[in-house]
Amino acid sequence: MDEAIQSEQQQHLTLVIRKACFGLPTACPSCLPVYIYLKFANVPFDLSYNLTFPDSDQIPYVDTDTYVAYNNEKGGVIESLKEDNIVNLDAGVQNLPEWVSTMAMINSWLSDAILYELWVGSDGSSAHKIYYSDLPWPVGKLLYLKQVHNVKQLLGISKETAERREEEIYRRATMAYQALSTKLGEESFFSDNRPTSLDAFFLGHALITLYALPETSVLRGKLLEQANLVKYADKLKAEFLDAGSSSPDPSSSSVPRRGPSNWGSKPKGQPKRERTQEEKSFRRKAKYFLVTQMVAVLVFLSLLGGSDDTEVDADGDDGFDYDG
Amino acid sequence: MVEKEDPISEVAEDEEDYDEDEDEEEEEPPVTSQSRMRNDRERMEGLLRRMSSERVPLRVHDVIIKGNNKTKESLIEAEVQALKTVTSMQELLQAATIANARLQKLAIFDSVTVTLDSGPPDLPGTSNVIVEVVESKNRVTGDIGIFTKPEARSWSLESSLKLKNMLGHGDIWDGSLSYGWDQTSEISTGVALPRFMKLVNPVTARVSLLSQDWLKFSSYKEQALGLSLGLLSTRNHDLAYNLSWRTLTDPSQMACKSVRSQLGHNLLSHLKYTFKIDKRNSPLRPTRGFAFVSTSQLGGIFPDYRSVRFIRQEFDLRYALPLGFARAAINFGVAGGVIFPWGGGFVNTPVSLPDRFFLGGNSSPVCSLGGPTSLLGFKTRGLGPSEPRREVGEKAGDAGFDPSSERDFLGGDLAVTAFADLSFDLPLKVLRDSNIHGHAFACAGSLVKLTENSFRDLSFQKYRDSFRRSAGFGLIVPTKLFRMEVNYCYILRQHEHDRAKTGVQFSFSSPL
Repeated sequence: MDEAIQSEQQQHLTLVIRKACFGLPTACPSCLPVYIYLKFANVPFDLSYNLTFPDSDQIPYVDTDTYVAYNNEKGGVIESLKEDNIVNLDAGVQNLPEWVSTMAMINSWLSDAILYELWVGSDGSSAHKIYYSDLPWPVGKLLYLKQVHNVKQLLGISKETAERREEEIYRRATMAYQALSTKLGEESFFSDNRPTSLDAFFLGHALITLYALPETSVLRGKLLEQANLVKYADKLKAEFLDAGSSSPDPSSSSVPRRGPSNWGSKPKGQPKRERTQEEKSFRRKAKYFLVTQMVAVLVFLSLLGGSDDTEVDADGDDGFDYDG
Repeated sequence: MVEKEDPISEVAEDEEDYDEDEDEEEEEPPVTSQSRMRNDRERMEGLLRRMSSERVPLRVHDVIIKGNNKTKESLIEAEVQALKTVTSMQELLQAATIANARLQKLAIFDSVTVTLDSGPPDLPGTSNVIVEVVESKNRVTGDIGIFTKPEARSWSLESSLKLKNMLGHGDIWDGSLSYGWDQTSEISTGVALPRFMKLVNPVTARVSLLSQDWLKFSSYKEQALGLSLGLLSTRNHDLAYNLSWRTLTDPSQMACKSVRSQLGHNLLSHLKYTFKIDKRNSPLRPTRGFAFVSTSQLGGIFPDYRSVRFIRQEFDLRYALPLGFARAAINFGVAGGVIFPWGGGFVNTPVSLPDRFFLGGNSSPVCSLGGPTSLLGFKTRGLGPSEPRREVGEKAGDAGFDPSSERDFLGGDLAVTAFADLSFDLPLKVLRDSNIHGHAFACAGSLVKLTENSFRDLSFQKYRDSFRRSAGFGLIVPTKLFRMEVNYCYILRQHEHDRAKTGVQFSFSSPL
């Protein structure tokens, strides 16, 4: 685990990523690998969250006062950090053909798969929580619809090709998982028995697939079939993310600690700390919606049945009144 | 036009001879035209004498509206409402003039005629009012020109299309496209309704898409999609509500740390109240009078707690003192503004970048009324808190770049400007006739940050030191197309990173 940090760059780094949720320091697929990479390298850094720019390709970025390594330059944050001699974990492996092709596989097939699953393959609740829960409702909703459209264009999904593309994406993801599972075997890391950026990328993907995607997700199911990959993800999460070796900035939200989870059962209950303002307001809105639906059904039935006015016991708080 | 000739004489006859028929003049014994004219004149003089000495009681029996094919009658009736409650001839004349002016102001009629006629013969002491309107045939008008929006502080090319009275409610729809010198572009469409439902005041609504490029000054670009509603607009008061979705981006990827943290999407929902009183004799070269403008903005009144929250208050006070010779006058002005956020944890939150105060630019302080904005000698957004931009190079920290151009100006939370300007005519008659005049000025301004606990570091001494000063003299050339100023400006005091230059500078503004 040798890192090469030049003395002149030993200024205090700040990592700007999207917010923490689902028990992870961040659940955004482009941000988590960078976080994990810095944790692998044991580099001290501050954490800062950007809550208002979900459609920016500049995030994640690492900065000091005047130096910035953006996500959309020089091949990504990790590549920039390597090139600028700040953190480099890949010395000795980054030219090996097998390492390069495994990286390419993760960054194309698996990256496409998680993009598909977040925006098209599921109901969008995970994506909403990761990206839009801190934006005012009209803005968040419009940006979400715009992003769904963009992802469909990027993945070449249209009405005619939807089924075929879905099958192709899942097939490739399965192949990738099987190949990675074979490559990993019983080792702790993918190459050279030490963490490299390949581990960072795959671990980021795996953790988001396992924790952030809903239970019914096809991709999640496919990953669960590879037991050694799941064990790898669990182990590294406990060692590097939950242990909190270099503690994040106190002003940022803390990552709740959790032990190895039981994958076979229902998804674990959310830790109490997760129930933030957005969660509460979402629950309130869901309650209103359910009450409205119930009342509408009752009114319909009463009109249909010709019975007299039904008394509605609205358990909603704000004096919700409906004249039947 | 109020026709005063025959109808009034008819009414006058009614006044004097209550039982007489309205057709009485046709039944007069045949007289020579001269004696008839003499009689009419005598009657008119008698009536005017009566009107000037005593109140002539009269009431309006009916208001008849003619000529409105598309316009809803309720709209015209509402504008001439006052006619129905008059009790005398004098009031009627006054109300008729006012009604005429109000209908003309709707700007949807080619001509408006208010005729006073005598009432039905069996109802003495009454009058009928006939309002005849000619609706504009050409309902679409286009406009293109180079104007200067005072708030944009630069030239802009504007083109607009107006559609009048599409729905018959006196509604005026317009679409406009404008492109500014400082790469501000805006496309908008709006509607103005003189009467919306039961509201007495005109209501306007506007949807606009605005794009502003501040990359050179603060390393960000701003796009805003907004809806604004004008709720109240009178001569002195203006109340408007604005809801907009604003996005800040940095395509140059060179922004400083503070700007980086502000990039993203925001929902802005604010109420803006402006009180304005301008008693100066001219907005461009005031030599007498005073003016006062106060603008208050309350942001964050959207039900969603995540919209941008702030309170912003600015004021501007001017006074012009004539000196009695060579049309000379001294203009004094002081303007100030403050903005701070509200809501939980407001002491630590920064104000959103585009809402802050920025000082600088070449606009003349005498002409631009509306808050602290200009300080001659300093470039646009050229003073105040600033931060170094991102360093890019072979090795970070490479030397050899101009420090002042590598900084982002972030604006401030508390801005104060003051100026004194002496304007005078030049000795040459030819210059005097074309209104070319000279002026000498002195300005001072300060822009500081208060939020994020910066106010704790601000002492009175430090605040006094934060004032920049400049002075100079120049020539003002007003032409039909624009107003040009050529100034020599000397910077008396500036701070290390300010963008200011001693020397000659030109500035252009709107001619009106």
